[in-house]
Amino acid sequence: MAFLELSHIQKSFAGAVAVEDFNLSVAQGEFISFLGPSGCGKTTTLRMIAGFELPTSGQIMLSDNDLTYLPPNKRNVGMVFQSYALFPNMTVAENIGYGLKVAGKLKAEINQRVQEMLALIHLEEFGARYPARLSGGQQQRVALARALAFHPQVLLLDEPLSALDAKIRVELRHEIRRIQQQLGITTIYVTHDQEEALSLSDRIVVMSQGKIEQVGTPSEIYNFPSTEFVAKFVGQINLLPVQVIDAKKGVVRLGGQTMRAGQFGHLNGNSIRLAVRPEELNPGFVEGANNLTGKVEAITYLGSIIRISVDVEGYPIHLDVFNERKLKIPATGESYQLTFPIEACWLL
Amino acid sequence: MKGKRLNLWGWFWAIAAMLYFFIPMYGTLDFSLRMKKGVISLLAYETVLADPQFLASFRYSAIMGLITVTISVLIFVPTIYWIYLRLPKARPIVEIITILPFIIPVIVYVFGLIRTFSGPPFQLTLTPFKTDILITAGYIVLSMPYMFRAIDVGMRAIDVRTLTEAAQSLGSNSFQILFDVIFPNLRIAILSGALICFATVIGELILGDFLVRPALGPYMVLVGRSRAYEPAALAIISYTLTWICLGLIQFFSRGGSTQQQLTGR
Repeated sequence: MAFLELSHIQKSFAGAVAVEDFNLSVAQGEFISFLGPSGCGKTTTLRMIAGFELPTSGQIMLSDNDLTYLPPNKRNVGMVFQSYALFPNMTVAENIGYGLKVAGKLKAEINQRVQEMLALIHLEEFGARYPARLSGGQQQRVALARALAFHPQVLLLDEPLSALDAKIRVELRHEIRRIQQQLGITTIYVTHDQEEALSLSDRIVVMSQGKIEQVGTPSEIYNFPSTEFVAKFVGQINLLPVQVIDAKKGVVRLGGQTMRAGQFGHLNGNSIRLAVRPEELNPGFVEGANNLTGKVEAITYLGSIIRISVDVEGYPIHLDVFNERKLKIPATGESYQLTFPIEACWLL
Repeated sequence: MKGKRLNLWGWFWAIAAMLYFFIPMYGTLDFSLRMKKGVISLLAYETVLADPQFLASFRYSAIMGLITVTISVLIFVPTIYWIYLRLPKARPIVEIITILPFIIPVIVYVFGLIRTFSGPPFQLTLTPFKTDILITAGYIVLSMPYMFRAIDVGMRAIDVRTLTEAAQSLGSNSFQILFDVIFPNLRIAILSGALICFATVIGELILGDFLVRPALGPYMVLVGRSRAYEPAALAIISYTLTWICLGLIQFFSRGGSTQQQLTGR
């Protein structure tokens, strides 16, 4: 039996379906990310777990208790908001201790827990400050401590790093994972940032238009995307419209050039696409691998990576190479040969 | 050059407005100090402040003001909070309702009150106590535009929905959210509304006059009919009270920024 179970969750707003037949089992201590573009239903699902939205149908079970229609203040679920939502009238210590105060805990117990939480987030000296006197990153740490202080069964984070600058975001991302692992708390994390989801999660739920596209570990999601949406949304991908030559062997053709796919199912229909990640492509020719020839269209510098865009039979293919000093960068318009292993590509 | 000309015009209009406001004020103040012939004195003020009727009417209006403020806060804060949280589409309708006291003349409103509440089933004009209930309700309605706007602005400055959800996720019930989170964060807005509401009640004339209650407004009119210098002194006292209220709003508003934070979604 899963610790947190969402069964056939459906949510509609004035007839418009926001979440459709959402099923998910979460084990205790697991870190799950809901990943998807804006409006895909990830926050709505999170808010249904928190109790801020009621499902139109379906059931939410937490540790064998039915949460579906329980009010938010009875769920024992901690929540961290994108906008921090710290109480401006309370100090950091009062914010952190508020959940325990509401639960009627003794002052000594509250103080001890607040000190523990301040130590956990490395803000021991900031207990007496008001939230307005803290930086965004510090405020979000306090919000995290506040959500954890009252020993919730599940921690929910709704795009907690979106309002922070890039450097703080990376720092705090590690901090969140460290605290989650230290406390072993079951966590649901909503984000539209694939890097965040891939680096933090035990499993990722990729969502689109209210539906689950794929559930899997970061490696499964990135390396074995089950749908075109997942392949496109997580990481960069080349999707080439190809014609099937030999369905049994996975041989396909792009214009006048043939390739073989490493993974392919039962091939039927006309809209077959060959998918390959830019980092799987290399310049040159390798016997026994897939080899393509085209013309260099553009060179894009991305810091440690250089992206070479090559026109192959009228379709752009992007190839990522490490930005090494010795690297010979081709000129635009130059004829270019590229290669990739058969097992690096698959058909969708 | 253009900016300089605009600046000069700005100064011109600012000075013109100040003269328009302060010259009559100065005239009233000067007149109120000339009760004793040929001498500048505070005799008019001494006479007014020594009049037991003034003190009684001031006390009555001040008490009514405090009651009005308390009830208004208890009505408007939860109502506006509920509108922000659950009925955001109802806000424009409520906003229009709150400006009705600006549209309907007070005299019409008072006649309506007297006509409705001077007979069964809600007879509220038979005893002074019942009339005080009626006059308090009237004051609440008259000060509604100020109180609503002050609290509305305060609510807009904080992200009511997110703060409420944060408190709920920590186990708070509606009562705890209102008293632990919403009221403290609206402190300045409530204070602003309360002081304007208090100043409105202190200077209100028509309700007190037609419901025959010993309020400060009718007393000032009564004094104005029979005496010359005392009404001027009363006008200056009234202005001073209003300015003290505005000064207090300014004073308390200054500290507010340190406790405010943006909680945008």
